Amino acid sequence: MAAIIEVQMGAPPSRIRNFSIIAHIDHGKSTLADRLLEATGTVAPREMTEQVLDTMDLERERGITIKAQAVRMPYRAADGADYELNLIDTPGHVDFAYEVSRALAACEGALLVVDASQGVEAQTLANVYKALELNLEIVPVINKIDLPQSEPDLVAAEVESIIGIAKERCLRVSARTGEGIAAVLEAVVTQLPAPTGDPSLPLRALIFDCKYDPYRGVVVYVRVFEGSLRGGTHIQMMAGRGVFTVDEVGCFRPGMEAVDELAAGEVGYLIASIRNVRDSKVGDTITEAGRPALSPLPGYRQASPMVWAGLFPVDSDDYQDLKEALDRLQLNDAALAFEPETSAALGFGFRCGFLGLLHMEIVQERLEREFNLQLITTAPSVAYRVNLRDGRQVEVDNPDQMPDPAQVASIEEPRVKLEIVAPREFLGGIMELCQERRGEFRHLEYQAAERAVLTYDLPLGEIIHDFYDQLKSRSRGYGSMDYELAGYRPEELVKLDVLVAGNQVDALSTIVHRAQAAGQGRKLVRRMREVIPRQLFEVALQAAIGGKVVARETVPALRKDVLAKCYGGDITRKRKLLEKQREGKQRMKRVGSVEIPQEAFMAVLSLDR
Amino acid sequence: MTAEAPDQPPRSLYLHLPFCARRCPYCDFAIVVGDALLQDRYLEALLSELAWMSASGAAPRPLQTLYLGGGTPSLLGLGRLGRLLAAVEAGFGLETGCEVTMEVNPEEVTQATAAAWADLGVTRVSLGVQSLDDDTLVWLGRGHDSRTAESAVATLRQSAIPALSCDLIFAIPVQPTATFARGLDRLLSHGPDHISCYELTVEPGTQLQRWVANGAVPAPAEEDFLAQGKLAREALARAGLHRYEVSNYSRPGSESRHNLNYWTGAPYLAAGCGAHGFLGRSAAAALGIVGVGERVRYWHLRAAATYVRSVAAGEMGLRGREWLAGSELALERLALGLRLTSGVELSTPGQLEAGRRLAVQGLLLLEGRRVQATPEGMDVLDRLTLELAVA
Repeated sequence: MAAIIEVQMGAPPSRIRNFSIIAHIDHGKSTLADRLLEATGTVAPREMTEQVLDTMDLERERGITIKAQAVRMPYRAADGADYELNLIDTPGHVDFAYEVSRALAACEGALLVVDASQGVEAQTLANVYKALELNLEIVPVINKIDLPQSEPDLVAAEVESIIGIAKERCLRVSARTGEGIAAVLEAVVTQLPAPTGDPSLPLRALIFDCKYDPYRGVVVYVRVFEGSLRGGTHIQMMAGRGVFTVDEVGCFRPGMEAVDELAAGEVGYLIASIRNVRDSKVGDTITEAGRPALSPLPGYRQASPMVWAGLFPVDSDDYQDLKEALDRLQLNDAALAFEPETSAALGFGFRCGFLGLLHMEIVQERLEREFNLQLITTAPSVAYRVNLRDGRQVEVDNPDQMPDPAQVASIEEPRVKLEIVAPREFLGGIMELCQERRGEFRHLEYQAAERAVLTYDLPLGEIIHDFYDQLKSRSRGYGSMDYELAGYRPEELVKLDVLVAGNQVDALSTIVHRAQAAGQGRKLVRRMREVIPRQLFEVALQAAIGGKVVARETVPALRKDVLAKCYGGDITRKRKLLEKQREGKQRMKRVGSVEIPQEAFMAVLSLDR
Repeated sequence: MTAEAPDQPPRSLYLHLPFCARRCPYCDFAIVVGDALLQDRYLEALLSELAWMSASGAAPRPLQTLYLGGGTPSLLGLGRLGRLLAAVEAGFGLETGCEVTMEVNPEEVTQATAAAWADLGVTRVSLGVQSLDDDTLVWLGRGHDSRTAESAVATLRQSAIPALSCDLIFAIPVQPTATFARGLDRLLSHGPDHISCYELTVEPGTQLQRWVANGAVPAPAEEDFLAQGKLAREALARAGLHRYEVSNYSRPGSESRHNLNYWTGAPYLAAGCGAHGFLGRSAAAALGIVGVGERVRYWHLRAAATYVRSVAAGEMGLRGREWLAGSELALERLALGLRLTSGVELSTPGQLEAGRRLAVQGLLLLEGRRVQATPEGMDVLDRLTLELAVA
């Protein structure tokens, strides 16, 4: 009996290590994870696929992780004892910064993977700082030492100067060849702290992700900090308030495997007939309904959409399919919001809310690939608060729905508290960027001699487009950022309309600051002239503010498009070209008599400032 | 579309004779330069294919048109040409009044050759004049100058060959519009029945394309295309040559009957390397070409030497085929029909609506269900076709 219980119960906390891998894209996080899974026998070599933990096609292709994963690996260490290693894989982009912070909060330590020829990069730093804030122990791993251009000594020195971890502590591995992997596993056991937490206290478990399983409902990824979870436990979400009965707890090896109990210190999953991912909010604390904890774990933040955009099917017959596809995606994506929207230009579609532009791109790409839909996406916008003259306040996330200026008393725009961490030498360029984006300086401090933390208050609308890319380019990749909503403030905002061949196109309207409106209008129509193909007639493009035209461009009429010779062998070629062109044409949206390609609706995003 | 045309037997034959003295920098045709030894083997192969085709019964009735294209067919020499035409006549029969066209370069035209071609049965010469400006002809890499061209035209007009068509190229970057206009006028003074007037096209893989790509030669200009196209149209109309296809002008009744097949969807046989044929089900079945569809386009191996080997192996040089039916066929008929000034019938309400819209823009003339492109419409015909194809 005793032996059976021991197998089912999981290891004592002293034999558990919970850790995450922090890495820049392409620095080999997934390959390292693959090697660890192999070396511990968690996945048999013949079952190995590349990037085992990235299960979505999109993740494998883009080399990014979108959903977190948690896998339990058994490991017999050099000291002869058996350990339970829980690897928590995290998403890696500023759009998902909050999700990352929760996944890190579930760990005691992290492996910091740095490419031996590329050195430390910005994205990595953002997560390193986050891990340091959460008091995680960090073990640097210099990867790809097998490559001829690798410079592990230089990179180790860089790790020491930038992050402050002694260069002697850097492990050197090649995840590709497997060299040094054994040392990594030993370091996890010897250098990372074991979890602490009293299993007899009232239950506190952190939700760090969840996924929707069509057969079992929501699978909640948890880290138990205090108390324990087992089948039959009545649980309560401390922020979400929902009460559920646990059907099953288990861990990932890497497939789901039920266990009797998840005790303090352990990582695993629970299933409790939860129908909606919204009832299992990332960062929420699970407690026992009958014996609740006094306070939740720190750090919960309501994940709410930051940017809004219209998604319209190119073929209006696909509207119902689009609705069903969004429903399906939402099952697994609590941050995705949508509601029906009608556009005079684009027909029926949905106004969708996203965490950021990458999130938007991912949703759009999944809709197109997994559901085979052809979509037009309008330029993303933030949600404004509009104070009307009659005293009412309305929220407007679609520029076209901006009430008539005569009725508007004021427009408030959302602002964020933006924190940028970057080496001191780049501060000048970064501060300039923040000023250009209407930012207000708040604070500057140094975390280490060379590392500055810059705080700005700035409009959310100014950072959703290409702020992150600009930050990276102005800091040679070393700058990292994080932001949270920080209220609303009235600003001189106006709606910039676009007229195509004299007709206002609702889906092309944007909200801009009055001071920038005319310049923005000029750039917008100039850019649109480049992306709208020549038609059989001249097309006027105008930008207007409140009916007053501020910029005008013309797409000249097409005057020549004919094949001179069309005899025997030319005919097949001609027909095939026509078929291809016909397909391309069907991807365009006809607005009035003008055909507008998808890029035009996003033109505002590709304007340089 | 209109009701499906019945499965008529082919009454036309295209023969490809790939030999040329040189490759012009703008040419992307299937040709062979300077391989005299291949000519005999090629002729034997072509005769074998014709014999096989004739025996198949694919063309049970005498031919109405025969077209010897190239390359430079006249390079084959009178003896070989004689054997070839005799074989065609024996194998297929030529209807009385059959249009027999041969492509010819000006430098090969003498009173003697013209008389010999007439004796062989050639009724129509398509002469590669291209330009009447000497500098331009050098730039085009042609083997003749303007005097040779003019004298060839005059000789042919006085010969026993009744019909003459001249090829002209316009929108050539080195030829000013005024020079083009003067050349056209001189050519028209000789009274040709037919002119094919092509804009210079930069084809992929040609010397010209490389020149344009590396900046050695400017690309043909849109302004020249528009100005010279309009000028040609008007000058030709004054001379009594009406436009019946995008690039083809003729006196009434002198249209190329053979080439009209391409645009009206009529069936035709083809032999020789790179040649394309187009057949209904019965003729295709006779040639052993089977598949699903109403019409088939089939083609031959492009390289002459490979073609010769294939025929020797009993495979008749056939390289590929595509069967057409339904929407593909409809799209092709629309695209080809619009090239003719006689126009096409529109079939769907959507097409009629698009047709009305384009008529308002002055690009189409619409009468009942029938549309034809206006001169401005012809300049953007491919886009017009697309507009009607998606409607």
